[in-house]
Amino acid sequence: MSIALRGIGKQFGEFAAVKSIDLDVPTGALIALLGPSGCGKTTLLRIIAGLEIPDEGQVLFDGRDATLWPIRDRNVGFVFQHYALFRHMSVFENVAFGLKIKPRRERPAAAVLRKKVHSLLELVQLGWAGDRYPAQLSGGQRQRVALARALAVGPDVLLLDEPFGALDSQVRHELRRWLRRLHDELHFTSIFVTHDQQEAIEVADTIVVLNRGRIEQSGVPSEVYDLPTSAFVHRFLGQVNELPVKVQDGRAYVGPLDIGSAAAPPLDAANSIALIRPHEIEIGPETSGWPAVVVAVRVIGPIVRLELCAEGQSASELLEAEISRERYEGERFNVGQKVGLRFRRWQVYPVSDAAA
Amino acid sequence: MAAAEARASMDGFGAGRLLLITVALLFLGLFLVLPLLAVFVQALAKGAGAYVAAIQDPMAWSAVKLTLGVAAIAVPVNLVFGVAAAWAIAKFEFRGKSTLITLIDLPFAVSPVIAGLMFILLFGSHGWFGDYLREYHIRVVFAVPGIVLATVFVTFPFIARELIPVMQAQGKDDEETALSLGASGWQTFWRVTLPNIRWGLMYGVLLCNARAMGEFGAVSVVSGHIRGLTNTMPLHVEILYNEYNYAAAFAVASLLALLALLTLAGKGFLEWRQPELRHAAHQARDRTRRENP
Repeated sequence: MSIALRGIGKQFGEFAAVKSIDLDVPTGALIALLGPSGCGKTTLLRIIAGLEIPDEGQVLFDGRDATLWPIRDRNVGFVFQHYALFRHMSVFENVAFGLKIKPRRERPAAAVLRKKVHSLLELVQLGWAGDRYPAQLSGGQRQRVALARALAVGPDVLLLDEPFGALDSQVRHELRRWLRRLHDELHFTSIFVTHDQQEAIEVADTIVVLNRGRIEQSGVPSEVYDLPTSAFVHRFLGQVNELPVKVQDGRAYVGPLDIGSAAAPPLDAANSIALIRPHEIEIGPETSGWPAVVVAVRVIGPIVRLELCAEGQSASELLEAEISRERYEGERFNVGQKVGLRFRRWQVYPVSDAAA
Repeated sequence: MAAAEARASMDGFGAGRLLLITVALLFLGLFLVLPLLAVFVQALAKGAGAYVAAIQDPMAWSAVKLTLGVAAIAVPVNLVFGVAAAWAIAKFEFRGKSTLITLIDLPFAVSPVIAGLMFILLFGSHGWFGDYLREYHIRVVFAVPGIVLATVFVTFPFIARELIPVMQAQGKDDEETALSLGASGWQTFWRVTLPNIRWGLMYGVLLCNARAMGEFGAVSVVSGHIRGLTNTMPLHVEILYNEYNYAAAFAVASLLALLALLTLAGKGFLEWRQPELRHAAHQARDRTRRENP
């Protein structure tokens, strides 16, 4: 099922949760709605589910106007952050719920239902847990039950609201990969909401970045990560260093220092800011670029993070650079060592945009 | 050293615990158990024969029936109202919500006597609807309908008050999930909402029932004290007491107390019967076993 949003807007009292949103989700896509809390991503998901009615705009399911369809007619599976398992039912009964409440004509026979529920429980690797109650399961197991329950009614669309937000990082990582595999096997259309950029990049085909109720940028993860169109997206999709710059004759200057050519569109010459990701800072010998001193070294598994104080910067304006563990093992940067910096890739934004 | 200190502080804690338990038990004994015992002792003071006679008295018997009948109407009415009000307040945003919450507390805030007078003012022979009622020969005040009305009014916060926090804490996720799985509103209510709130609901019903059977002030104003017709058990107890018929008064009072004890026993039984409550107990054990095999 393909989903299209046309000019969706929704107010809660004075607060505009989402504003004129247009979005196309092709059949079989796995899309992440990414943004900070309060950006409207959950509202958008709930509008697609039919849990909220938009004030304006249309929701199209396969081209048909579904804006006012009640949720039970939309054939969507909805998974909540806190699982929302029915605590008075066993795991089996939870998964069977959607089948048992069907009108008698459509309801599968008891044996068929039993088989179907068991196969779903196998699918989520919980074949052993049918007789347990939700309270007896761990968070990750509960979320898998919630997924099995949503899948039981054969939804065309799976909507997940921060599905892994309440889990610890190891379980989260496992479930992400598992969700991706499940999606590839079953081919339904999925939309999930997250505030975790890494989760969005790892799982989704397409990332839609939301900010203040609007779509900032959407695209495949690598494109959004490498070519952010705004300072907001640049910041939200990973670590950044920020340097106030002056742009003059197509060159960018930090103080008196020429850091390179600014190919960016027309910018306010005096009020611009450069954003640089830590792994795009090149560290060389002292004479090779902007002189700096290593202030701190932190080894984080496969990468090493260096804190650098560049010439002309105060102690509170440290730059963060990341290099590979291998390189670190070879070159051994020490605290106090003098180095030269160059920026491999960076982008300049007007300060007004960066403040957003 | 550290362990010894920890133990010492635990001991201090233990002494505090002992003190708290003692105080609680003493209080319980003095204010609950002793009076209850006194009721039964007084009731049997003139022997079992007098006790049975007092209960078998047709006037006492009709008071028992009236009390049970009034509770049988008031509790279901408040059950429906309480669930509806709690549902609306906990799961929806609407204008006037805080006013509604305040209004639900009104019967707790006003004295029951005033509640009774209010109904006299409305339905009494000189009340607002007095002429109309006389025309159609409907008796509300000094009759059973008045008693029912007063009881419903006085007991209506119990169930709603019990349910609102429970439903607010549970949020809407479960209901929304059920709807997304294709359930109708009605199916969602019976299969998801009701099981989720049943403990709070049961507790509310018990409190409501206890108060419905025990209400004195409001009922006293509207009943008219017609023996055998509009006397509920509490009113009957008072009349017997005022007639210096202590044994009979306490015999009926002991019946009332017995009804209260029965409802409590019913609650205990239901809790014991619930399978997933036992599951919850198992679960804690299971988890410790899984984590420290």
